[in-house]
Amino acid sequence: MRGRPAIVAVGRTRFGEHYEKEPEQLIEEAWLKASEEASIERKDLEACYLSDYFLPITNKLGLEEGFLSELTELHVPMEATRSFGSALLNACNAIQAGRYKVVLVGGLEKMTDRWDKIRDDLMLLEDPWSYYAGCTPEANHELMLRAYIKKHGITGKNLEKLNLALAHISVKNHLHATKNEYAQYQRKITVEHVLKAREDARKPLGLYDFAPISDGAAALVLASEEVAKEFADEPVYILGSSSATDYLTFPARENMTGFLVTEIAVKAALKMAGTSLWDIQMAELYDQSTVMEMISLEDLGFCEHGKAWMSIYESCQDYRGYYQIDGRKLFVNMNGGLKADGNPLGATGGAQILEIYKQLKGQAGERQVQSDGELKCGCVLELEGFGTKGYVYVLGRDRE
Amino acid sequence: MSSEPIERRVSYLGDRLRGRRCHICGKEYFDIRDYCGNCGRKSFGKMVDMDLFYEEGKLEVCTFINNPTNKFTKLGGFIYGIIAFHDGKIKVPGRLTDQIIKDGEEIDFSLFEGRAVVPRFRRRYSVGRSDVIPTISLAFTFSDEYYPYQEHVAVKPDKEYDAPGIVGYGVYTSRFRIRERNMERSVPFIDEDSITAAVEAGKLALIHCGVDSSLVGKVYVGSESNPYAVKPIASKVAQVLRLGEEEDDMQGVDAVDTEFACKAATSMFKDAASLVSYPKSNIEYALVIGADNSQAAPRNCPGGELDLFVGYGGCGYVLGRQDLIAEIEGWYSCTSDTPDFWRRDGEPFPMHGGRFTGDPAYFKHVKKAAIKLMTRLNLQVEDVNYFVTHQPNVSFPVRIAKELGFKEEQYSQSLQVTKFGNTYSGSSPLGLAAVLDIAEPDERILLVSYGSGAGSDAYSLITTSQILDKRKRQKLTVEYQGENPFLEYVDYTTYRRLKLGM
Repeated sequence: MRGRPAIVAVGRTRFGEHYEKEPEQLIEEAWLKASEEASIERKDLEACYLSDYFLPITNKLGLEEGFLSELTELHVPMEATRSFGSALLNACNAIQAGRYKVVLVGGLEKMTDRWDKIRDDLMLLEDPWSYYAGCTPEANHELMLRAYIKKHGITGKNLEKLNLALAHISVKNHLHATKNEYAQYQRKITVEHVLKAREDARKPLGLYDFAPISDGAAALVLASEEVAKEFADEPVYILGSSSATDYLTFPARENMTGFLVTEIAVKAALKMAGTSLWDIQMAELYDQSTVMEMISLEDLGFCEHGKAWMSIYESCQDYRGYYQIDGRKLFVNMNGGLKADGNPLGATGGAQILEIYKQLKGQAGERQVQSDGELKCGCVLELEGFGTKGYVYVLGRDRE
Repeated sequence: MSSEPIERRVSYLGDRLRGRRCHICGKEYFDIRDYCGNCGRKSFGKMVDMDLFYEEGKLEVCTFINNPTNKFTKLGGFIYGIIAFHDGKIKVPGRLTDQIIKDGEEIDFSLFEGRAVVPRFRRRYSVGRSDVIPTISLAFTFSDEYYPYQEHVAVKPDKEYDAPGIVGYGVYTSRFRIRERNMERSVPFIDEDSITAAVEAGKLALIHCGVDSSLVGKVYVGSESNPYAVKPIASKVAQVLRLGEEEDDMQGVDAVDTEFACKAATSMFKDAASLVSYPKSNIEYALVIGADNSQAAPRNCPGGELDLFVGYGGCGYVLGRQDLIAEIEGWYSCTSDTPDFWRRDGEPFPMHGGRFTGDPAYFKHVKKAAIKLMTRLNLQVEDVNYFVTHQPNVSFPVRIAKELGFKEEQYSQSLQVTKFGNTYSGSSPLGLAAVLDIAEPDERILLVSYGSGAGSDAYSLITTSQILDKRKRQKLTVEYQGENPFLEYVDYTTYRRLKLGM
């Protein structure tokens, strides 16, 4: 099939607190990195797809597009959506429809400017009903874990192992981030750190189970297949892309132990890519919490429902850089995941795509994975809200 | 991103939990939906109203919130979870209220999950002093603890009486107490105030009397601790309890707040009784509520003496002409301009006139009203089975009862101040409820309230045989609330914090 969108360049900032930088400086930094990589000029861009959740709140920017226009002197069509996944999907659709040949997809967020109110904003955005009943951004994850434990009847030793498996997810992601120069937390933590934080919080998940709030930006240049080689010798193709939507109110959903959007989106994305889950060698998952990483392995179909923790637990007893699932290797969140790489909402998906892009091109440096056989295919899962929207991308290097 | 529209929606829906069910496929929604998502257009006009306000749910899963979002920080740590109604057809988010999670205390979620809960009516979260106070019923308590689940069934009345009287009543006090000297006093949880007490008392009264709430044509709420200087409590009560006929999101009921210190509610008994007796009023029932989060300045401050006596609670009385538990035999009221206790506008706490509150105020008015009514009705002390009066402390009601010639067995049942404190507008109504809880048919009750400022209302009530029939519908009796194994005692600092509220 022709017309697959190709990523020809990527760029990002470090995630973390960028007290001294305006939000537009962040996206500029990401764009400059990407443009340098592919020798792209601003005038090459036919459209811009941007993403941010909170700029109108955190930085009182109403029309972010206008800001970018001022900065870039570009007057091309620009659209702002919330997640990077959603901006990218719009860009993919436009390219596949033949409308544009080269577009910029960029995501940015500056959450720390509003650190004292951002949890309220987050909760209002993801589940207002629950917010007004007293929910916090962490609580829905904990409820999902409680529901998971009850549904699958996990008790005693198994429950201990499940809790340890979740702790290992965090430890593993921090370990990966030590090799990621852009990551927010480039330091190792131990299982004891995770467990102590849970004990202090007196609940199933603690500080180290959750992704932080972050500032940052990511950008990529998406080109149509026809022109992609003009910018990059080896573009990475978006073989499959899909999204799905679910109820805003988490308690109102039927399934409390998984995300319907992930299940729907992954099926559609794989079908579009004409590939199977078994071909996916690496995945960047949306680990807003350790529970989300575990659940996502199940929702995507890598593990059976109720079983992911076993594979995680076993793999982490002697961690070798990947999860061992049913005898095969799956590299998960090699950039450190949201937990350690950081989670500037509008830019997060960009960092996920960037990681798969770099890995597929063999440019991930110290983080480069050692797959059995050639590294061909990876996937990205990005969620909006608490699983209200889900985006799945299947990325591949070679085009048969 | 403005949260205003959804916030308003939450307020409207959340005050009284309700939803709709599709008559075609049976799917249920926690929302007032005009059509069903499954059935689409053909379900228009086929959505059936559901009311979860009087129902029992189940806490499915829960967690501990140790770091609440900004609006909830005053709650401290709390349990939050998902509550299922109708075997999981409807699931709603909610917090457990009335729980003080102590520092360092181990929390075992499995002890909470799977248990039955009842929706309560509470303040939703903290707002600024000049803002509208948001309320919600997405706050729950376990029904196997202090606040049991009680079914609300509207019963068709089968007997009409010649005189008006009490059809049913409800008393609500919180599960928290402070114990000092010889007194226990009820303490509101931090999300409670006089508005929430009024709603709870009205709800319990409706459950007890078995009256269809759409037949209630007037509601009076007497309080001296309304968190608003301007905005009635009664309108909230009317809306949440769906009083009067409902049309276009409005209730066909007259709702009004009254204020006369501690007699703001009792004063309205006769107005309610008159209203239901006037044939052209078209009002079958009237609801009178007295509710107070009794105010007192902190100890050692001017007015701080009251801090030793104040309680929290509300009482609701439904008056009518049918299915009475007690008929009103007569009444008498007296008033004089006596400034023994007052609170200036804008001041948070009341002041009182020290010794001046006794002889020229309380005793003078109570005695006058009691003697006048007994004389009018030609009653002797022996004709009265129970004497009930206002209870600002223990000594005043005992002294006046003795001065009037009543024996201990006539007044002791009504003396509840040692268990609940002075519940201000709810004080003498609470004593009356304690008597109605145990009274036999054909007994006479003399109720004499007192309100500073000053005045007294005296009523003579005669119980009917139906008092026994209705008793089984009243689980939250005064005795049950006074001697409950789930009461929680708090220290003075906690008491002040809870009383100050969100």
